[in-house]
This record gives sequence, structure tokens and C-alpha cells, in this order.
Amino acid sequence: MKRVLLGLVLVAACVAAFVIVTLPERGDAVALGQLSGDPARGQTLFWAGGCASCHAAPGAEGEARLVLSGGLQLPTPFGTFSVPNISPDPLQGIGNWTLADFEGALRHGTSPDGKHYYPSFPYTSYAHATDQDVVDLWAFLQTLPLSNRPNDPHQISFPFDQRLLLGGWKFLNPSTAWVVPDPLTPEEERGRYLVEGFGHCGECHTPRNALGGRDMARWLAGGPNPEGKGTIPNITPAKLDWSTADIAEYLKSGFTPDYDSAGGGMADVVTNISHLSDADRLAIAAYLKKVPPQN
Amino acid sequence: MKFGFFAAGLAAALATAAIAQEAEDPFADAVESRHGLMLLMAQNLGTLGGMAKGETPYDAAVAGKAADNIAALSSVMSMDLFPAGSEYEKAADSFALPSIWSNQEDFVKKISALNDAANAMTADAKKDLASLQAGMNGIGGACAACHKAYRQPEE
Repeated sequence: MKRVLLGLVLVAACVAAFVIVTLPERGDAVALGQLSGDPARGQTLFWAGGCASCHAAPGAEGEARLVLSGGLQLPTPFGTFSVPNISPDPLQGIGNWTLADFEGALRHGTSPDGKHYYPSFPYTSYAHATDQDVVDLWAFLQTLPLSNRPNDPHQISFPFDQRLLLGGWKFLNPSTAWVVPDPLTPEEERGRYLVEGFGHCGECHTPRNALGGRDMARWLAGGPNPEGKGTIPNITPAKLDWSTADIAEYLKSGFTPDYDSAGGGMADVVTNISHLSDADRLAIAAYLKKVPPQN
Repeated sequence: MKFGFFAAGLAAALATAAIAQEAEDPFADAVESRHGLMLLMAQNLGTLGGMAKGETPYDAAVAGKAADNIAALSSVMSMDLFPAGSEYEKAADSFALPSIWSNQEDFVKKISALNDAANAMTADAKKDLASLQAGMNGIGGACAACHKAYRQPEE
């Protein structure tokens, strides 16, 4: 009897420890509150982060990509995620959020009411965003049109519908360290910030393990497309032998060195990255040359 | 005599096969024309792209000729090159998605967007390198818009 009791106490302690260690986190709101946001800089970050690719209405083109009404369905092995409305609409969007709410979501995957978000929202990459960039992006999002489209629920089955477990997922998949280590030139560092951070390139170009975490030992080595059929290409120097000028041109106009055009999800990425400066695109290319080659 | 039967049989079989092949692929010319057009487009884009990327020195006359070619090639794009049925999994080597025909109005709109971008490039390419570089965006965007919506991605 004593042994059973001890067992139960141990289990309870483990559960408590798990919950405490993996509690949803947020950043330091006071430090952020002292910065002032620049919406023009935020606009560049908006395109670098590819927000419109998921949060604009499916198929939206041109100006319509600035209406972040959500609605895209993301089929995954864990269920189908419904992309939410993040327009400044106070009822259906995020118009009632504070800067601290936004920071918690973007860098920590924590909702304003303190729940874990699913990592289909790439906060594992956005975690690298600097304080100033968080504030600037937030300032830009305020300037966007409102949409009153109500959100659809995710269609996730047990046990993946238990958001508490996501704390464990976050614990197993920490996201703060750079993959490509120093020393880097200032241009390569800028590229690293864009690729590993806002650009969240590794979310598709790095293969995932059985738990849906990125296999960091195979950084940018490609693999099966988690969102459907086909494969995502290996973009480490072992496979991507384009010149930096070729890579930069591809990210601007979508033209491959053979003058075919980018296809699939990458066409959308090019639409976003074409809004960046030539210097930023060359920085991305310079960084890709520093990634450890993987066959 | 036996050989005669055999020869007649073989001839008949060959004729049937030839007819069958003909009947199976009435779209070979249309598909080949489209691919040839794209190849010529890529060749001329390569001339412009090489200058845009700084691989070859900017030459207004050479760039202008390539841009004129692209505009001419773009003007050849029309529904005439896309007979109904010349689509992915129905016509050999075709990657054209069936939505081209179900969504024809939008497809034709995207062709005119390509024509506009190509016409703008004829002026940009002759002006200076910076204009040429900026113009690549417009053409690339027009190519990608159509390929994204109406071309079956290669596996």
C-alpha cells in the first residue's frame, strides 16, 4: 500500500514538474514597451516572414495579400490546421491584442490566454526575431485592413489535440541557438537572421522526425513534403550549386538559372522575398553557401 | 504461303499500331509547339538575366533584341496553342492543368499580363542596366503567376 502511494506521489510529481518546466512562456513586456515601432521597417519584416503566404485568404493576389483573414487549411500527419484571422479586427482578428500578447505568440508560441500554439505557426523560427523587429512588425500589422472572417477550429484528433503536450514538444525542440555558428561576415549574419529567423526556410527545407520536430542534423537537406506529395529540395551546398547571383535572382524574379520559374510553394515565397532589397537577397545567398553540406 | 500470312499479319499490326498511336496523341504538335516557345523564351531571358546578374556586360542593343524577341514570343501565346484536352495525363509530355480550360478567362488574363510585362521590358532593356534588372521582376512574376496556377509541378 505504501509503495502504491509512493508511486502515485512520484507520478504526480513528474506531471507537476512537466507542467511547470513546460509552462507557456512570454518575453519581457517592459523592455519592449520602451521601443517605438516603425511600420515601414515592419513591412519588410512582414514580407521576410512570409506572413501573407498562410494568413492571406487562399489564392489572394496583389493588394488582397495584405488582408490577413486566414482560412487556409494545412493538412499534416497530426491533423488539419486552420490558419487564423490575424487582421486588426477586434472581434475576429487580433485587434484587441497588446504588444506583449503579440511577442508571446511570435517568439514563444504562447497565446494571449496562456496556451501553447501548434508549431504549424513557425514560432520556432520567429524566436530569433530581435526586440526592435517584433515592435516594428507589430506596428505594420496595425496598418492593415480589417477582416471579420470568423476562425475555423483545427481538426486534430487525440492525443495531438491536448495542447498541454505541446510544452513537451517545445522542450524537445528548443529554438534559440543558431544552426550555423559564428564566425560569419556581417552579410552572412544578416542572411542567417533572415533564413533561420523570419524567413523560416528550415520549416520546409529541413526534414522532420516522427514527432514533427526538425532534424537539425540535416539542416536544409530537404525531404518529403509534409503538406502533401512531392519532395522539398536539399538547398545545402552539396546540392544547390547555383552562384550567389543565381540564388539572389531566383528569390527576386523566380527565374532558375535555366530560366524556368519557381513552382509550388516556392513561387509564393518568391512573391514575398521579391519585396526585400537586393542586399538582403544576396545576404541569404551568402548564408546558404556557409550551411554544412548534406547529401 | 505461311510467310505471306505472317507478313500480312505483321503489316496489319503495324498499321493498327501506327493508327493507334496517331489516335492516342492528337496533341503532339500543340505540346511540342508550347515547349519550343518556352525554350526560345528561356534562351532570350538568359541573355537578359546574364546581364541582370552581372555575368555578362550590359549591352543595350543585345538586350533590346532579346527583349523584342520575348515580346514577340509572348504575343504567340494564346488559346490556339492549348486545344481542349491537351492536358496533363491526357496528352504526352503535357504539364498543362485542366483548370486552363475550366478557368479560361483567368488564363487568358494572365497571358495578357505577360504581354504587358514583356512590352514594358522592350523599353527597360534598351534604357539602362538598372531598368533591365527591375524589369526582370515583372516578367518573372508573369511567368510564375501562370506556372503556379496552371502547370503541374514536376515530382
